[in-house]
Parts: sequence; structure tokens; C-alpha cells
Amino acid sequence: MRNREIPKGLRDFLPDEVKIRRKMEKKALDLFRSYGYKEVRTPTFEYLEVIEAGTCRDIREELFLFIDREGRIVSLRQEMTVGIARMAATHLREAVFPQRLCYIANVFRHVQPQKAQYREFWQMGIELLGASGSRADAEVINIAVETLRTMGLDNFRISLNQIEIFNSLLAESEMTETEKKRVRHLVEKKDLVELARVLNNSHCDDELKETIARLPVLHGGIEVLDQLGKVEKNRRASQAVAELLKVYEDLQAYGVEDYIVIDMGVLRGLDYYTGIVFEGYSSELGYGLLGGGRYDNLLNQFGFACPATGFAIGMDRLALVLEEPDEEPAHYLVGGADWKQVVQKAQALRAQGYMVETDVQTCTREELERKAQQIGNCQVVYLG
Amino acid sequence: MQNDYLTLALCKGNLLRSTLDLLAAVGLPHEGVAGDTRNLVFTFEDAKLKYLMCRPTDVPTYVEQGAADLGIVGKDVIVEQQKDVFELVDLGFGACRFVVAVPEQMKNVRLKDLNYRRVATKFPRVAEEFFRSQGMQVEVIKLHGNIELAPRIGIADMIVDIVSSGRTLRENNLVELAHIMDSTTRLVSNRVSFRTKFDRIEPLVKIMQQKVKKGENP
Repeated sequence: MRNREIPKGLRDFLPDEVKIRRKMEKKALDLFRSYGYKEVRTPTFEYLEVIEAGTCRDIREELFLFIDREGRIVSLRQEMTVGIARMAATHLREAVFPQRLCYIANVFRHVQPQKAQYREFWQMGIELLGASGSRADAEVINIAVETLRTMGLDNFRISLNQIEIFNSLLAESEMTETEKKRVRHLVEKKDLVELARVLNNSHCDDELKETIARLPVLHGGIEVLDQLGKVEKNRRASQAVAELLKVYEDLQAYGVEDYIVIDMGVLRGLDYYTGIVFEGYSSELGYGLLGGGRYDNLLNQFGFACPATGFAIGMDRLALVLEEPDEEPAHYLVGGADWKQVVQKAQALRAQGYMVETDVQTCTREELERKAQQIGNCQVVYLG
Repeated sequence: MQNDYLTLALCKGNLLRSTLDLLAAVGLPHEGVAGDTRNLVFTFEDAKLKYLMCRPTDVPTYVEQGAADLGIVGKDVIVEQQKDVFELVDLGFGACRFVVAVPEQMKNVRLKDLNYRRVATKFPRVAEEFFRSQGMQVEVIKLHGNIELAPRIGIADMIVDIVSSGRTLRENNLVELAHIMDSTTRLVSNRVSFRTKFDRIEPLVKIMQQKVKKGENP
């Protein structure tokens, strides 16, 4: 029966699963709205040029690509930020900034399907456009924390970093371009073994080598910034450290600092982000739950210079760590011989806010009772 | 991933002896842990520690998916599996190397002359990537064991395999034609565990690095 197959990495969602998703969506949208974020939608597929302009690196292997009838290459969206950046650069130039936008959307990536990794998956997130500075970063990070808490999660942490610390240390080192590229790749992958070897054979002073080797494993409270070693010689790096400190202070106003961990190993695809970056983890799941950060150059790729920051949460992963939702209130099954009476009774119950199914198969009272038992948490009203 | 416990995936087989010696050297419990029993999980309540006994090729999967927080496994397996795990410490033992080997009578052949030939291997990704990096195309034949046999029975012209002493190659009249890369055993970590269990993992990394530096482990 090949006609029953669905493509690899895709899923059907049955009613119970959709119910959980809808609840998550509602909680998130209510929260986003309370901070002034307005929901937007962008096309499910875009021209490849748009996606590549946004991501600045070769991600074609991850994209679902096809060619439209005019011969242009299009790609299913692999995330929402690039689409929203393009949209804002086209339609929101005259708007009042900062603009606060949010979304819930399915996105597509050609990855190896496995637990917590699907080829079509759902993301929800926010973008704060047109505001630079630590307060904007703090607002976005706080909303990330609040979203997870609203979902009923408590055992999670947000890892926070400022990628300019690493970027500028690397940029101002005496390594060759090839070495820099290699180091960047290894730090992103956290291959500490190969990193140590490359640093050992590279041309830069020992102090800097030591700092770069230590960065991927610097992790802890705000005090780990003291262990950074010599960054004061590097103006950009020390500015970035000061900025990280400022964001942390601004987060304290929300009282969420207990969820925040400083983690110099968080880099998130170095080409895309320009400053503060963060990721969220729960100890219940071996994969990250959310990620985000500042991307001040992205909108400029579409001809509109505008600072921006945001995050996205993987809803499928979040669903894996959430508790079962509480029981729904009882619902009714209304039946009887007189159709008009049945309809009137059902409408009256619906008007009171109940979920009401009418029996459209003219069952007997006994048959309805049996059905109600199978459904569970269901009351029969039999008229006549 | 279980919250209170630190879970390590260990390789049954060749690496186990050295792995247990390492655990002893860094002060982790290891009494009664063995690969030849039916027991696949060893729990140490006091130390809040669990060991999962796995086939080597499964270790990266266990760690990537978070079934284990840490794993001790050869680099050869890690590069072939290409799982998304953090590679924290080079433990030094279990040294071996990936090579291209050919039957003895072909020992004067140049690698370039083997373009478009067939290669038998347990490591199709490593083989594929190596030949591609040399600008060559080969037909990769994936086998699960006794790779040395493949040229003799005529299903491949050469093999890509891991070699430690080189004895198996010699016994099968094969000679090393090209060296692809070296491999040793590594400590790997799940991406999230490294963060959520940092306070337990980081000291372990430090002490293992020290032991390796001093050459105290076998």
C-alpha cells in the first residue's frame, strides 16, 4: 500500500496532539501580545536568493528546493527570521519603530529525521526590529524565559553570550585566514581535541591561544567573565564583554537572572548574528529548545539598515518535555428520536459553553451510553 | 537523559579494558563493570552514576540523542557517524589509523591510478570523503566485517579500514597505500548535558586532561 506512505520526516497530528499544540500556541500568542508583539505571516516558500542573502552561507543541503515554471529556484522556508526581515524591508519602512512582530509557523529542513528532529516542524518566535541596545536584548530574552514558564516548564536554563568577544579576539589574532576559518568551525562544533591541536600549530601568542581554547568551556554565573583572561588589549572584545554585562543587569529588572547562564560556547552560526546570542535548554531533552540573538546586519541585506533581535522556539521539542495537559471539562452527547428537540437541546448547551456532539445516526439510549463510555468523560442526554 | 544521574555510554569490546582503567584513574567507580555479562546498565547509587554498555558504533547515537550524557568512543567511529556531539578530551588510548590498502601485487600502484575502482569498507563516509578530497571517484562497497577478504574474493580492488599494528593487513597480503587519518579514543558529550550538567562534567574533563597529559592512563 504505497499510497499510504508520507514523505520521510513528516508527521500527521491527531486530535489529542493538535489540542496540545493549540494550547501552546494560545499561551504564547497571549504572552507575545501582552508585550505588544503583533502576529505576521510570510510565504511558505521564497526565492532562493532571499534565503541565501539572509543566511550568508551555503545551506542548500538543508533546503527543500524546487524550480517554479518561470525557471527560478524557490525554497521552502527553513526558518522565519529571514522572511520577516525581507517583509519588513519591503513593507514596513515607514512604520513607527521599534516594530514588534511575532509568528507561529511550520518550517522545512532536509535533515536526517530522528527524535526531536523532523523535516517539517513548527516554530514560534518574536522579532524586535529597529532597536539596538541592551534593553531590547533583555526584553527579548525575558520573553523567551516567560514563554517557557508559561508553558509550565521550570527546569530550564538560557545560555547567554556575545559573539563579538570571540569574533574580535579571532579577528585581531595573527592567525592566517585559513587558520581562523578552521578555528571558527571547531569552536562552533566544540571539537576541543582538534581545536587544541590547531591552536598549538598556529601563529599567535600563547596568551591568546589560551583564551581562545578556554572560551568554548567558559560556563557559569556572571562571574565567569572574570576568568576571560586578557581581553582588555582588544577594544572590541572588551566592549562586547561590557555589553554582555549590561544585558545581564537589565535582565535582573525582570527577576529572571536565575534562569540565565553565561556560556561563551554559544555561537549559533557565526555569520548570521552580530552581538548577543542565546540558547535555551531543558535537562529533560538532549536537544536545544530555543535560540536567538541580535542580527543587526540582516535587514540591510534587503536594503534597509535596521538593528534587530529575536528568538524562535521549537514547538515540537517543547511538546516533548511538557507535562500532559489537564483534563478537559465534560462534553455532551445529545440524542433522541425527535431531531428538532435534539438540536434545540444541543444549541442550548453550546450556548452555555459546553462542547456538544449531536447524535446524527439515530442511536438508541443504550448505544449512546456505550459510545460515551468509549469516548470517556462524556455525558449522554437522551430526549424522548 | 536522567536528571540526577550522570550517564556514560561505554564501548564493549577492545576498548573496555582501557576505559575501565581510565575510570579507575580518575576516581570513578567501576567495580563489577564488565562487557561480557548480560547486564547492559550498571548503576552506582552513591556516585549517582550510570554506565550503558554499548556497541561502539551506537555510542555517538546514544550521546547525540541524550540517552547518555557522555560517551567514551574511538575517533574512527565519531568521524564515520558524523553525529552532533561535543568532542572534549583526547584520551590517547586505542590508537589506530585509517588507511587505504591494496593487495601486495599492486603495491607499486599510485593512488591516482585507482580512480573509478571499487573500495570495500566498514566506513563508507570516511572512504567517500577521502577519495573526493583527492579529486577521485570510487565505488564504495559497504561491508560489515572481514574487509580484508574483499580484494581476495574479487569484490573490490582496495579497502579502507582501521589498522593498529598492521598485522591483519600482512596476514591477508595487503599493503598500506595511503594514510587517511589517525584515531584515538575520545570523551564526547551531549550538547545539552554539557550545559545542564556542567558542574559534574567540567571537573571530569579537567581531571581526564591531566591524566592524559601525565600519560598515566594506558
